Amino acid sequence: MESFFGRYRNLIVLLVILLLQVIGLAVQVRKASPSAPATVVGFLHEPRDGTGVLLIRLWAAEMVTPFERAIHGGGQGVDGLWNNYIDLRHTRDENRELKETVDRLRLEQAMLHEDALQGQRLQALLDFQQKYIYKTTPAQVIGTSGSSLSRVVYVDKGSAEGLAPDMAVITSDGIVGKVRDVFPHSAQVLMINDQTSGAGVVLETTRIRGILRGNGAGQPQVINILADARIQPGEHVLTAGGDQIFPRGLPVGVVERVDRDPERGSFIVVIVKPAASLQRLDEVLVITSLDAHLSLQQQADLETSEELKGAEVAAEAQRKKAAAEMAERLPGLKDPNAPDAADGRPADGKNADGTPVTPAPTVVPKPLPAKHSDRFSPGGVDPATATGTDGAAETPGDSTPQTESKPPTPKPATPKPNPPKADTPKGRAR
Amino acid sequence: MVDVLTPDYRRDLEIRRYPTYLYLLVPLATLVLQAWLPRILGRFAYMDLPLLVTVYFALNRRSPIHGTLLGALLGMAQDGLTQGAIGIHGIANAVCGYLSASIGIRIVVENNIIRMLLNFMFTLLSSVLVIFVTRVLLGLHLQWNWLDELLRAAGNAVIGLVLFPLLDRTQIRD
Repeated sequence: MESFFGRYRNLIVLLVILLLQVIGLAVQVRKASPSAPATVVGFLHEPRDGTGVLLIRLWAAEMVTPFERAIHGGGQGVDGLWNNYIDLRHTRDENRELKETVDRLRLEQAMLHEDALQGQRLQALLDFQQKYIYKTTPAQVIGTSGSSLSRVVYVDKGSAEGLAPDMAVITSDGIVGKVRDVFPHSAQVLMINDQTSGAGVVLETTRIRGILRGNGAGQPQVINILADARIQPGEHVLTAGGDQIFPRGLPVGVVERVDRDPERGSFIVVIVKPAASLQRLDEVLVITSLDAHLSLQQQADLETSEELKGAEVAAEAQRKKAAAEMAERLPGLKDPNAPDAADGRPADGKNADGTPVTPAPTVVPKPLPAKHSDRFSPGGVDPATATGTDGAAETPGDSTPQTESKPPTPKPATPKPNPPKADTPKGRAR
Repeated sequence: MVDVLTPDYRRDLEIRRYPTYLYLLVPLATLVLQAWLPRILGRFAYMDLPLLVTVYFALNRRSPIHGTLLGALLGMAQDGLTQGAIGIHGIANAVCGYLSASIGIRIVVENNIIRMLLNFMFTLLSSVLVIFVTRVLLGLHLQWNWLDELLRAAGNAVIGLVLFPLLDRTQIRD
């Protein structure tokens, strides 16, 4: 027995090592609990994929990243030595111009922020589910996974700087990926061109939604799309916002080409050229907050902006008031066709409850009968005409004197009431 | 030809020894470079430096156990830098380390052409094992490009031509 182990010692060691690693793989693949996020609190590391596994990850990262940080820092130092101490031509002028630009942009940003807040309040009223980027942490890319089958980069910020798993990582050009594992002073970022990544995206023009993930060649592609002839190269791809990681509307890239899905005939894969340069990443931004938290400086800028806006509003009100006073003093023209608002009816032709005003029927008041009617009495007979003694309207036929005359019986005036003009507004009745 | 390939004399049979710190420093340096160089080279980083170091020490130490353990440790460290399961590269590198040491016992590995061929073949073997473990043992859907794997094998073969003589100079002479 002893000779057996002695003879096959090498092979036995190999088999034991392989067996242990296979068991380790089986344990890792056995369960994946996405509800348990990885956290690092001091040296206590509670990962998604098992304590032992992440300890190895932690050791590997802590073993490699200090050197990567040093190499990166050395390169930055050489660059900085040249750019900051040697090549300083026109720096003073540029600095002055930049300060002026910063002051102007700060106020513009505050004004835009104020408008954004107002927009968000309105969207909140309308139950919009939209998130905004409020706080980002810049980080330097210091290393990669070193494997072509794993599109992962390491950044020089970790839990000590407020990073947490599943935070979105972007550049000014577009999205990069998401934070996966976080260590005290470094973090692992899973890029969008990795085969295990996933992000909800939407094609800008056709509004077709899909899932973005990497392929074997390290290109991001949109999968789970039915064949659609409308998708053309050059169309922009944006984040859809439904994955709870990336805010909606961030640029992802442009459609490079459309291929047929080799496994599912009726589906296609849309190969995307990423907007961010994933191969040459240097500085990235980690979105650490999607809630509105303003810094002291931003709050001060916002107050300044509000004061400026308040002054503008006050000046406008003053101008309107002065114009109104001037209009009162000057003789104005009155439109004879304009509706008369002095009769107590609303000018817009509606009641307070919104119902249209029904014009009252026009009734000519009925005059009382005159006790002694004269020619001015309505319907009455001119006594002078009747007697022929007086009156300018003497007719030749009436010139014969009447010897007997009965005094005319006064008749009450019975004026004919005008028919009501119900549908005719008073202004138009003229 | 046979004299070239078989260890007929004592110098080729002896076990090469290196300073202890080198067993720590070189693997660590290769891990750091493997993680850092793709930032410079981008998608043209066709190399697997930890595998090269595993093969080198296994060939020259001529100890399968040593090669297996070194390959397993370096492979697991490589896996620790990825987001994947730990053990994929560990299995691949352990097998490569074991086979390298076994071959180093039987043939002379001083010749540069032999070293190139060995590096090329072991890098391809490592890729095959990684894909096998990922797709068959883990059941994960993994796409790969054979051209990339061939280029990586070729890159390792070329880098080995430079790296191996450098490491040869660090060995302890009697």
